[in-house]
Parts: sequence; structure tokens; C-alpha cells
Amino acid sequence: MRKDQTLGEYLQSQGVSRRGFLKFCSATASLMALPPSAVAQVAEALATARRPSVIWLSFQECTGCTESLTRSHAPTVESLIFDAISLDYHHTLQAASGHGAEAAREAAMEENEGEYILVVDGSIPVGNKAYSTIAGISNYDMLVEAASKAFAIVAVGTCAAFGGIPHANPNPTGAVSVSDIVTGKPIINVSGCPPIPVVITGVLAHFLTFGTIPELDAQGRPAAFFGQNIHDRCYRRPFYERGQFAETFDDEGARKGWCLYKLGCKGPTTYNACATLKWNAGTSFPIQSGHGCIGCSEPNFWDKGSFYNPISAGMWGSRDALLGAAAAGAALGVGSAIAARARKKKAQAAEEA
Amino acid sequence: MSDLDAIPVSAEVTTGNVEPLLHEIRHALKRLAGGEDGTVIDLQRLPLAPGEEQRIEAVLGEGEVRAEINALGPTLVQETAYPGVWLITHRNAEESVIARFIEVTDMPELLKSQRADIESGINKLESELADSTKKN
Amino acid sequence: MTLLEFASGPGLQWALWIFVFGVVWRLIGALFLLARKDLSKPRRHNSVAAGLGAIWSRSTPAHAFEKRILFQHVTGYAWHFALFISVLFFAPHILFFESVLGFGWPHLPNTIVMVTAIIATAVLITLLIRRATHPVQRFISNADDYISIVVVLIPLVTGILAFAHVGGRYETLLALHLLSVEVMLIWFPFGKLMHAIMTMPARYQAGTAFGRRGVKA
Repeated sequence: MRKDQTLGEYLQSQGVSRRGFLKFCSATASLMALPPSAVAQVAEALATARRPSVIWLSFQECTGCTESLTRSHAPTVESLIFDAISLDYHHTLQAASGHGAEAAREAAMEENEGEYILVVDGSIPVGNKAYSTIAGISNYDMLVEAASKAFAIVAVGTCAAFGGIPHANPNPTGAVSVSDIVTGKPIINVSGCPPIPVVITGVLAHFLTFGTIPELDAQGRPAAFFGQNIHDRCYRRPFYERGQFAETFDDEGARKGWCLYKLGCKGPTTYNACATLKWNAGTSFPIQSGHGCIGCSEPNFWDKGSFYNPISAGMWGSRDALLGAAAAGAALGVGSAIAARARKKKAQAAEEA
Repeated sequence: MSDLDAIPVSAEVTTGNVEPLLHEIRHALKRLAGGEDGTVIDLQRLPLAPGEEQRIEAVLGEGEVRAEINALGPTLVQETAYPGVWLITHRNAEESVIARFIEVTDMPELLKSQRADIESGINKLESELADSTKKN
Repeated sequence: MTLLEFASGPGLQWALWIFVFGVVWRLIGALFLLARKDLSKPRRHNSVAAGLGAIWSRSTPAHAFEKRILFQHVTGYAWHFALFISVLFFAPHILFFESVLGFGWPHLPNTIVMVTAIIATAVLITLLIRRATHPVQRFISNADDYISIVVVLIPLVTGILAFAHVGGRYETLLALHLLSVEVMLIWFPFGKLMHAIMTMPARYQAGTAFGRRGVKA
């Protein structure tokens, strides 16, 4: 697709019929969690949309987010969206390497200053910037420069959105999230470890379609995907209400597909679209496969105790500490009783005298 | 897969979402019959338990019309046993489902020939005719 | 640190420490009061029967007052019973007790617990209003009474809201529920809530003391 073409012109030049285009729009609207009535609006916007430049920076990450995206379940729609954006830099996916790659990034940043979308996956070490560098440039410096010229930033994955696993206690690299460093630019947090692939493309599709920032929740996540609690949308919710729980991973309750709350499911405190969009071409999601939600789209999910501890168990400390408190209470009780008695004796003695 | 099938996992789970969906369809049909606009329901936006989508399909059944559109991969347009209720399944070129809708309408918009396509068809036909006139 | 992280972590730890410390302190102090020898000659020797008798007689309305205190009596039992079910038989609560005590027990379906929680809340609010408006009750009430009722009422209300996902995001409501329980735990040993532990032993003790003197209790 040429840069001066609109998406409508591009698709037409590729021999895509109006029917095909409307189908693409229906799928895109569904992808963006828009109501089906918005298809006409999407079609109108997409027909005249111009190709945005996207620069993708990978910092302290495991490439799981990119893996998730490239295994996304709607290749036709995805590839159309990827045709429709200009992915000018992604060091894992691009063919170029070394100085050539960095030159491409700088050229794209110059050419599209103030207009490109910066996608970041991975956290940024600030303990010692040398922990993670690309072409001799620290992640911190690269982010600050790229963000300053971007239209908006999409923090893909829990690491970029909230610090994620590198940020977990004891956080040896001093890892922080994008929003800890960048201020004054819109930041969209697409959290998850990894995020649901269609959520990543859904956000890109939103930019492509409307050229605006989607509505965000309190954590800076697109409300269309992160507005619902897993527990509220979980098909196993009726078992929770009835008090039918799997007690172990291989008991009768587990076989019958009962609620996994007792096995540490974090669904009630987790916001993501897993229960409706599901994973692997809509096949399933963790709870459907028999494992509780680990809350991977929430900040500090790694430091909230065991994945297998029920939410209501709390992190109340140790029995030894409680015994210590009991011993201290007993000592004070005995002490005050003895003191009271001594006072009484003294008073009696004074009275008798 | 056969190993997985051997594990006895029962899936008699309901979200309780099937009945309300059917009622929504009933209301949409009444509106349509009363001359109001049609309704589109995105099936991927509903939390459904394993097997519930099949249950919806089974309840709706198959009606008189079944059409396939070939545009960016196959799309199946199936009228259900309830006239006016259509099940539309969009697949991509790799045949995986990319979107699924229940449309309550006289005729799904996508089945109609599209104005833009008609216009490009006219151009194509005219240039064909021009070519054949030249040849003769 | 989010509100929920504080409420389910350090907040809970401190509240439990203060609760255990305070309860043990007061219990030990009270037990020492028993250590005084009674030098008088007992009129009645079966002090166990006298103690148990007092627990029974004070748990049932005295015949002379039956009509006058019936409302108090029925609401009192309804409140305690509904609270008991709501606190001890809600599955998430049992998981908490299990993590602290090392053992659990069967739970009731959420819908039943929801009903008992609503009953408990309604009764407690009624009793609070009555206490504040009834001239006699008002006269014999002090700040401790009102504080003790409020610190128990708030966990009930926040618990119901959290369960029903009404009035805020679940984790916020859950955090408020935990924080209000923590306030209750901290207040417990130092106010009238301590009656939950003291009432029965105190009745028993009073019964044995009266029995020894040959007084009907």
C-alpha cells in the first residue's frame, strides 16, 4: 500500500470487492468490541483511512507478546490491518539488522514526527540503564526520544504497561513501566502476559479506523476489552453462586468443571477479555481449560502471593507472628493482674494501719 | 486429540445466556414484523460455555436459504428455521472463523449486490464489449 | 501498593496481631480475677450445674418480663444467628479461616449466605435505630455501644456490596470490606464486642458464684 492511498483505494486496487470490504469491516468492528450497528461507521472511516506509521520497540521482554500477536487467530483481518499500517521498525520481525535497522527507525521517526504510533513491549531498567541496550542506546534513552515524537504510545504486555515480571520483587534491574517514564503523551496499556492478540490488533484497528485514542479505564487500558471482570463474564460463575468448587485439580468438582476460586483463581480481581474472546482461535481460555486465572493483566500480579492461594485467604503473615502477639498479650495480662493485686494489697495495708 | 477425549470431563455447564439471547431474538423479530429496523447480534461478544454456541445453532435450526459468499474467504449465510433470523459465519482464507453474527432482517445486506461492485461490473462489461467489438 | 494490596497484606497482619494481643491480654486479666479464694462455707456444692443453669436462664427471657422484652429477645437471636451463618459458612470466609487455622469446614451456597447477611444487616440497623431513639435504651447506651455496632455493620454492608458487585469495582469493594473487618478486629478486644468471648464464661462464673451462696440465678 502506497502512503498516499487510502485504505479503501488500496483494497480496491487489490481486487477486494465491496462485499469483501464490508466483511472486513464487520470483523474489525467485532475485533474492536464495537456493536454491530457501528459497521457502517467503521466502513466509512476505513475507506478513507490513511496508513499510520508504527514503530515497535522491544525492551526487557521475552518476545511472548510478539509471539502472541503473530499467532493471532484471524490472519486475513490481521494481515489486512498490518498491510494497512506501516510497521517501520520491529527488531524481531524485520529483515534489516544492525545500523540499517536503526537508520530505518530514525528515518521513520523523522518522516512521521508527531504522527507515528509507538508500540512498546517490555519494561525499562532504570537501576542501571546498561542492563538493556539496543545498538548501544539504552532502553530509557530510546524510549524518551521515540516517545517525544510519537502521536501516542501503546504499551503492549504487562511489562510495558505495569513493569511486569522484571519489576517483580526484588526487581534487580530497577525495571519500570512506560508510564513511569513518559509523561505528556497518551499511553494505552494493553496488558496481559501475553495480551490477547486480537486485543493488540483491536487497538491498532481503532487507530486506523478513527485515528483517536480509545476510551480507557483507570489503569489506562482500553475499556472495550478491559472493562469487564473475568469473574463476571466467566461461564463457571453459576458454580460459584451455588458454592460448587473444585477442591483439587483432579477431584470430582474439577472434572465437572466447577468454580476454581478455592484453587486460587484470580478472576474476581482481574479485568481482561479472556472469558469472551478466548484464546487460540476462540478455542478456550485458562479457566475453561481447568486452571484458575492468574491475573496476568493486573499490576504486580507476580507479587500477590501464590497463584494457588484463594483471593480471600489474604496475606495475613505467619502463625508464629500471631503466637508472638498472643504471648505479648499474655505477658501484659499477667503483668497488669499482678500490678493490680499489689496495688490492692498496698491499699488494704494502708487502710488497716 | 484422542488422548484428551479420553479424559472424562463433563460439560453440562450453562451460563444462563442462551435463554436471554433467544428472547432477544424474539423481541427483534417482533420489531422487524412491526416494520422497524433489523438487529445484529455479535456472538463473539457473549460469554458462552463450551457447547452453548452449538445449542443456539441447534435451537435455531436450518431454514430454506443457505448461501455462500466468496470474498476474503468464505462466508456462510444461513437462514434459520425462524424466517427473518439469519446466522452469518465469516471465515478467512484459512477457513478459521473470524466473526459470527445473528442477523434479524428480511435479507442480510451482504447478500445484495453492492452499488460499488455493480458500478465496477458495468465498467468491466463495457470494456469486454468494447474489446469484442474491436476483435470483430 | 493498591488499597487491596494493603488491606489483604500489612493491614490484615496488623489487625490480626492487635486482635490476638488484645484478646489474650483481656482474657488473662479476667482469669486472674478468679484466682481469689472464697473462704466462706458453700451452701451448695454442685457448682457446675449452677453455672450451666445460669447460662440457660440468662439465654431465655425471664418469665416476668417475657412480653416486654420479646422484641429484644427475638431480634437478638435473629441477629446473632444470621451473623453466625454469614461469617462462618460463606465459602471465601472459610478459605480465610482455613489459611489461618489450618482446617476448614463445609460451606453453604452463596444465595443462602446472601439472605442471612441481608437479614443480619436489616436487624442490626433496626436495633441501632431503636437504641438511638428508645428513651431507656438511649439512656443506658454509651459510645462503646454505638462504635461496636457500627464497626460490625460496615463489614456487613461492604461484604454484601462486594458480593453483589454493586457500588464500585470488585477489588475496591473487597478492599473496603477487608479494611472494615480490620477496624472491627482492632476494636474488638477493647470494646463491648469482647462479649462474643466473655458472655458465656461470665454467665457460668456468675452462676457458680451465686450457687455457692445458694442464690437462684
